[in-house]
Amino acid sequence: MNLILFTFIVLLGFTSYYFGRKKAYTIQSTKKRLTALPQFYGYYLAIWCAIPAFIIFSLWAIFEPTIVKLLVLSDYSNQGYLDDELNLIYEKTKALSRGQFTGEITPFIEASAEKYLSLRSIAQSSKAVIVLSIIIASVAYAYKRISSNSRTREPVEKFLNAVLFTASLAAILTTVGIVFSLIFQTIDFFKVIPLFDFVFGTHWYPAKAFVRDSSEALDPTMYSDTFGAVPIFAGTFFIAFIAMCVAIPIGLMSGIYLAEYASTKVRQYAKPLIEILAGIPTVVYGFFAALTVGPFLKELGTSMGLEVSAESALAAGGVMGIMIIPFISSLSDDVITSVPQSLRDGSYAMGATKSETIKRVVFPAALPGIVGSILLGVSRAIGETMIVVMASGLAANLTFNPLESTSTITAQIVVILIGDQAFGDPKTQAAFALGMSLFLVTLCLNIVALRVVKKYREKYE
Amino acid sequence: MIKIKAKDVDVFYGKKQALYNISLDIEENQVTALIGPSGCGKSTFLRCLNRMNDVIDICNVKGEILINDFNINDKSCDVVRLREKIGMVFQKPNPFPKTLYENVSYGPTIHGMAQSKQEMDEIVETSLKKAALWEEVKDRLHEPGTGLSGGQQQRLCIARAISVRPEVILMDEPCSALDPIATAQIEELIDELKKEHTIIIVTHSMAQAARVSQNTGFFHLGHLIEHGSTDKIFKNPDNTKTQDYITGRFG
Repeated sequence: MNLILFTFIVLLGFTSYYFGRKKAYTIQSTKKRLTALPQFYGYYLAIWCAIPAFIIFSLWAIFEPTIVKLLVLSDYSNQGYLDDELNLIYEKTKALSRGQFTGEITPFIEASAEKYLSLRSIAQSSKAVIVLSIIIASVAYAYKRISSNSRTREPVEKFLNAVLFTASLAAILTTVGIVFSLIFQTIDFFKVIPLFDFVFGTHWYPAKAFVRDSSEALDPTMYSDTFGAVPIFAGTFFIAFIAMCVAIPIGLMSGIYLAEYASTKVRQYAKPLIEILAGIPTVVYGFFAALTVGPFLKELGTSMGLEVSAESALAAGGVMGIMIIPFISSLSDDVITSVPQSLRDGSYAMGATKSETIKRVVFPAALPGIVGSILLGVSRAIGETMIVVMASGLAANLTFNPLESTSTITAQIVVILIGDQAFGDPKTQAAFALGMSLFLVTLCLNIVALRVVKKYREKYE
Repeated sequence: MIKIKAKDVDVFYGKKQALYNISLDIEENQVTALIGPSGCGKSTFLRCLNRMNDVIDICNVKGEILINDFNINDKSCDVVRLREKIGMVFQKPNPFPKTLYENVSYGPTIHGMAQSKQEMDEIVETSLKKAALWEEVKDRLHEPGTGLSGGQQQRLCIARAISVRPEVILMDEPCSALDPIATAQIEELIDELKKEHTIIIVTHSMAQAARVSQNTGFFHLGHLIEHGSTDKIFKNPDNTKTQDYITGRFG
């Protein structure tokens, strides 16, 4: 029913576009000057046809269930039921009306189900009637306006403006919503676990929090020494550091090669090939790290008499570095290519060699962009999940030995949230606290990156 | 005295020939202007003189260019030394995104010309003075060169070019991006610089060629149509094409 109505509105919208345009041509044929191109007349009519109808349609979809529920339950209102019981009755009613109710059918519920069904059918038909009459009214209004050849271009442009604004508003509101949900859950978490313990505690063992019997009351003292985030923060930065040690030199050098040394032909093939690296799903990097690099490093280490964990920070960080290479390489290539040729010419004309020119003129000029690309790489490294989950172990060891296993913020969030969880449990809320800190770290990185780029941009032309 | 002697120079961009059989002698300590309509090859010829065409992959230069009787197209020619001797100023001012001081000290640094900070300071000061920029910028040597006005930037580029005491300075339409006052300053400067340097200037402005140069070469469609003293080219050219171009009938 809803789908039919929806399709109907869309079809009417298209039809009114053609009617609007046709009307414009008719006006034009009377040698009158149109106030806009004919298609604006079409858009104008189509917008007036579809938009009010859709607004009513969506408002109906939002409020209908609540109103129906209210009406159905009004029969039970003065009988002293609790809210939960009323909800249960309503669920039973709905199930019965769908014929899916298996319990004992009381006359009350049967009556309610009938009422529910009749209300629904009234609602459906009145919805169709109202939507159609709205369409007729608004189309009539708009048709009258275009018939009198009044302006259509401005309203259409304004409407487009509003649509684009709504789209960006949706993106922003989503971000704000996510941040707020993080904040509230984080606050709840810190009500149980002191901030101090979280930030400075050196022991992370969230599984301990899950062992408690859920019927027992929360006892904060039992969580001391459970949610100390230092080891996983250290692990995160340590693995990101290893990754950047791999990614920055290789990425930067390949970027410089592509931009300055490679012939057009090499560049034409090499750049897409490097960018393919960026298209590999991280889970593939993950098992590459876990099944190939990890064991290889372990064997190599053993043959040299070193103790290497099969899930070492080195394997995860190294593979993560490979994953980040294309970002740094491709971005710095773009930045270096956009340095004006006139600067290079100026340097060559002074007798500078290619490497001198790159080192003294091109690289400094491109530096802000390169720093930006590196910071972008760092925030990817910190936010990367799959590789660490698979290759670097899940136990949060506080270590700076690249051959041992360690864990990161993202991996711990995964550990906490897979499987069964209880909302309102400190263990689950710990994931939000971790997410919040991750968000803060990447936010700071982005702000720094923007600052750096802005500060040096003026120097450039 | 003849400083540069070009003999039968052909230039190709890929398969397209840009210059045909150019032979031209350039007098020492004089200003030689190269004029001609757009796309006639005058800038290409200028770029042959310091081998800047090497930078362009598809560009191929044939023929001999003798500077001080040494063929710069020879394999034994060291391009770094060549460009130290032949400075260049470009159409659009292109100071490096560095400080004024670093812009001027760039050449002396890469050629190892100064042994101490003091020597470098002297080089920077004399170069800026010669480029008639010192008085305007002496208090802000450590500010970015890109903060100057267009005319100042171009004089900074001239200071950068003369900092390595080149024998020849090539100027590729140095005033085309500047206003008349800045242009007049640069022209005055060119007159001053020719005492110590041989100058070759490509220009679109015939008035400028007449004002600053002693010799003029007229290029058309990749051919050097006529060359000789500026007086003769402007007052009594041999070739009717030159006549037509100078009187503004085409170009």
